[in-house]
Amino acid sequence: MTIDPILLALIYILIFPGFIFLTVYGLFLQWFDRKISAVMQNRVGPPWYQALADIIKLLSKEVIIPDACDTVMFKILPYFAIAAVVTAALLLPIWTDALCSFQGDLVVVIYLLTIPTVTFFLAGWSSTSPYATIGSMRVLTQLFAYEVPMMLSLIGPAILAGTWNISEIAGFFTAHKPYMLAQIPAFFVALMALQGKLERVPFDIPHAKNEIVGGQFTEYSGRLLAFFYLAVDMEMVVGAGLINAIFLGATLGTAGILGAVIFLAKTLAIVFLLTLTKVLMGRVRIDQMVRFCWQILAPLSMAQILFDIFLKFRLG
Amino acid sequence: MSEFEKEEKIKAQLEAKFGAAITELTIQRKNRIWFEIPADRIPELMKFMKTEMGHTHLATITGFDGGENLGANYHLTDTHGIITVRAKTPRANPHLPTVTGVFPGAVPYERELEDLFGIKIDGLAPGRRYPLPDDFPADQHPLRKDWKIADAYPDEATAKQEAA
Amino acid sequence: MSKMTIPLGPQHPALKEPVNFTLVLEGEQITGSTVNLGYNHRGVEKAAESRTFLQDIYLIERVCGICSHSHTTCYITCVEELAKALVPERALAIRTLVAELERVHSHLLWLGIAGYEMGFETLFMYSWRDREQVLDCLEMVSGNRVHYGINTIGGVRRDITAEQKKIILSKISYLEERTKYYVKLGTEEPTVLARTQKVGMLPHDVALERGAVGPTARASAVKRDVRKDEPYLIYDKLDFNLITHDTNDVFGRLVVRVLELVESYKIIRQVLNYLPEGPIAVKVPAKIGPGEAVSRYEAPRGEDFHYVKANGTDKPERVKVRAPTMANYPSVSYMLDGGYLADVPMVIAAIDPCMSCTDRAMVYDNKAGKVQIYGWDDLRKYGIEHYKKRGIDFSKM
Repeated sequence: MTIDPILLALIYILIFPGFIFLTVYGLFLQWFDRKISAVMQNRVGPPWYQALADIIKLLSKEVIIPDACDTVMFKILPYFAIAAVVTAALLLPIWTDALCSFQGDLVVVIYLLTIPTVTFFLAGWSSTSPYATIGSMRVLTQLFAYEVPMMLSLIGPAILAGTWNISEIAGFFTAHKPYMLAQIPAFFVALMALQGKLERVPFDIPHAKNEIVGGQFTEYSGRLLAFFYLAVDMEMVVGAGLINAIFLGATLGTAGILGAVIFLAKTLAIVFLLTLTKVLMGRVRIDQMVRFCWQILAPLSMAQILFDIFLKFRLG
Repeated sequence: MSEFEKEEKIKAQLEAKFGAAITELTIQRKNRIWFEIPADRIPELMKFMKTEMGHTHLATITGFDGGENLGANYHLTDTHGIITVRAKTPRANPHLPTVTGVFPGAVPYERELEDLFGIKIDGLAPGRRYPLPDDFPADQHPLRKDWKIADAYPDEATAKQEAA
Repeated sequence: MSKMTIPLGPQHPALKEPVNFTLVLEGEQITGSTVNLGYNHRGVEKAAESRTFLQDIYLIERVCGICSHSHTTCYITCVEELAKALVPERALAIRTLVAELERVHSHLLWLGIAGYEMGFETLFMYSWRDREQVLDCLEMVSGNRVHYGINTIGGVRRDITAEQKKIILSKISYLEERTKYYVKLGTEEPTVLARTQKVGMLPHDVALERGAVGPTARASAVKRDVRKDEPYLIYDKLDFNLITHDTNDVFGRLVVRVLELVESYKIIRQVLNYLPEGPIAVKVPAKIGPGEAVSRYEAPRGEDFHYVKANGTDKPERVKVRAPTMANYPSVSYMLDGGYLADVPMVIAAIDPCMSCTDRAMVYDNKAGKVQIYGWDDLRKYGIEHYKKRGIDFSKM
């Protein structure tokens, strides 16, 4: 029996590993993150359906759009964020191979993951309220701080594998597992940068509630806010999946259900590390964040790249 | 009276400086001195207390309604004892000089005197009223003894009567 | 970058009680700030004049939810001085015990809020969990978690049994263990250091000039603590240290508060071991005075000041309450200027503000009451009239 390739592509895009899977797994990761941090903080934490309940509740609420804002921008931005994240997910090897895989898809994923951040900035900026404006300025400042270390940390493995194709990088590390250990500094940099991209403690500066209330999302409500939250949750899946593919060899050469299980287990482990960072720290100030990214993360990933080039020459 | 050695010393210093202006000086107990001084000499006294007597802390200013006179008690401390200085001003035209030149932290205390007792503070920098709400009648001063709730909120008072 | 004015409060996630700060920002930096108080004015001072001395204890207790014992003890000291009552030593010791338990509860609460304001939720959860221990102690001693109602004119209302003493001691040992952990956390955790050091600077001479009190002043190396300067209750019989710190910043205030916790545990142990036998209250006549008295008290937030004037009846002629937050407010605008927006919640929280203490007095908020008395339509009419007077008429639109 053969399945029509177009139908297969549609299933890929809409169900697995596309929109539906991302939604469900994103919400699950959100719950996982909240539950784990609650347990660490000696609290009970939310029940398993809490993340879904939050989204459903928000979807049923009235959408209030401020008079002073740019209505069209205000309305379409959440959908842009979700579209960019779902597109990026299609390029990741989640089971066997990615839906579409080509030379240079690593760069495309990085840029697709930047689009949600830009929509956050525009969302805050087009809301025109003071809290949202300050929040969006912080989003942009923060973007310039973590984006370069993130990029640099992903270049190292790519140089070592000698390819810009995510699936091929994963294949390289599957074949040469000991080299994964050599990438630990870059892995750390990528985790911290991802924490910044997802705007989580200690880098939740753009929507620090005790300073600027809801930050860039202050004026958002109802459905539009729900989609923004969903985009952030999905971004967590895609970010963890990207780190998994680049540093941990994706599915480790297995295919089908076993491959998906390995993917889930490793992304859960990455999210656990992110949660641990969140629980162990307080929020830093924006200037401290920028300094940390440029003075520690960027040089660290540069050193990793030099090391990888050296290793590449030794390998021949 | 060796028990009140420090208090007696303060008394002597004050009387040497201000002479007959200081009246009704009493040493209530250890660490407590009370006296009265004409209102116009308050800033001068505060400056003297702060720079030469080491009473660097103005704990607060308590307004009072003494019938014919309104007035204020200035509570000064050198962290060990409290000296309370009383100044009176006639009810018909109540006003006191500001002490914010000596104690910058006294602004809210003086605004309280203006709002709650209607004592005009000469020289106090203009600013938002405190602590009464913005829409409270400006000519009513709730801490005066003759003020009734009905003066400001007639509806509220009748509603209360009806309920009772 | 152009200047931007943002309102902080009266309703804002960083503030637990209503106060308004108007901040002028240039980018992230603050170039000017004004503080507006008065959102919580309830008329306590006026109300106190129409109640008896005994009823006033319960009114004054409700000046503040956290330092309720501080206010009543301070007030009652004035009243007892006017009534020339000789309070039994055991009552004074019990008052001291409750006072120190209250300080522990307040400082742990502050630690949690500080953690929350710097986005460190784990610290917030941990210290509030531990605070439950001391709230349990207070509930056991007084029957209440927050408004203890243990003071009465001439003594206290409840005695301490040997069993209670044992339970308090065991809980204090647990808290001491936890506090050691907080000291370590507060002085070593890098994000805590990054958010507190060199933030909200208040130099020594400015602290003196602006009349700062309590831990805020002590973190600027001002040696000012009423328990040492003018010992009340039984503090002159106790051995404890006056904690100061010389970094002048939020970090200093954190260290001072956490180390004061340790001193409080020491005091609680001493008081429980001292606890002399005897009655816990004496009878005091209802009519007091005439006369006037002032007293001071080291509340968890700093010097609390009360003035009571009696006129020979059973009601006071005048009661004045000056809460510590009031004395610390002039320092806040100094600390905010030139700082970062991100530090504002930390700086404000660092003085441990208590608005309801500060604003005290005045008739109840009539607007909330009017909704019930008039109904919605009348309120609407009132609103339209109100704006008509200011030249804005919506009815023609």
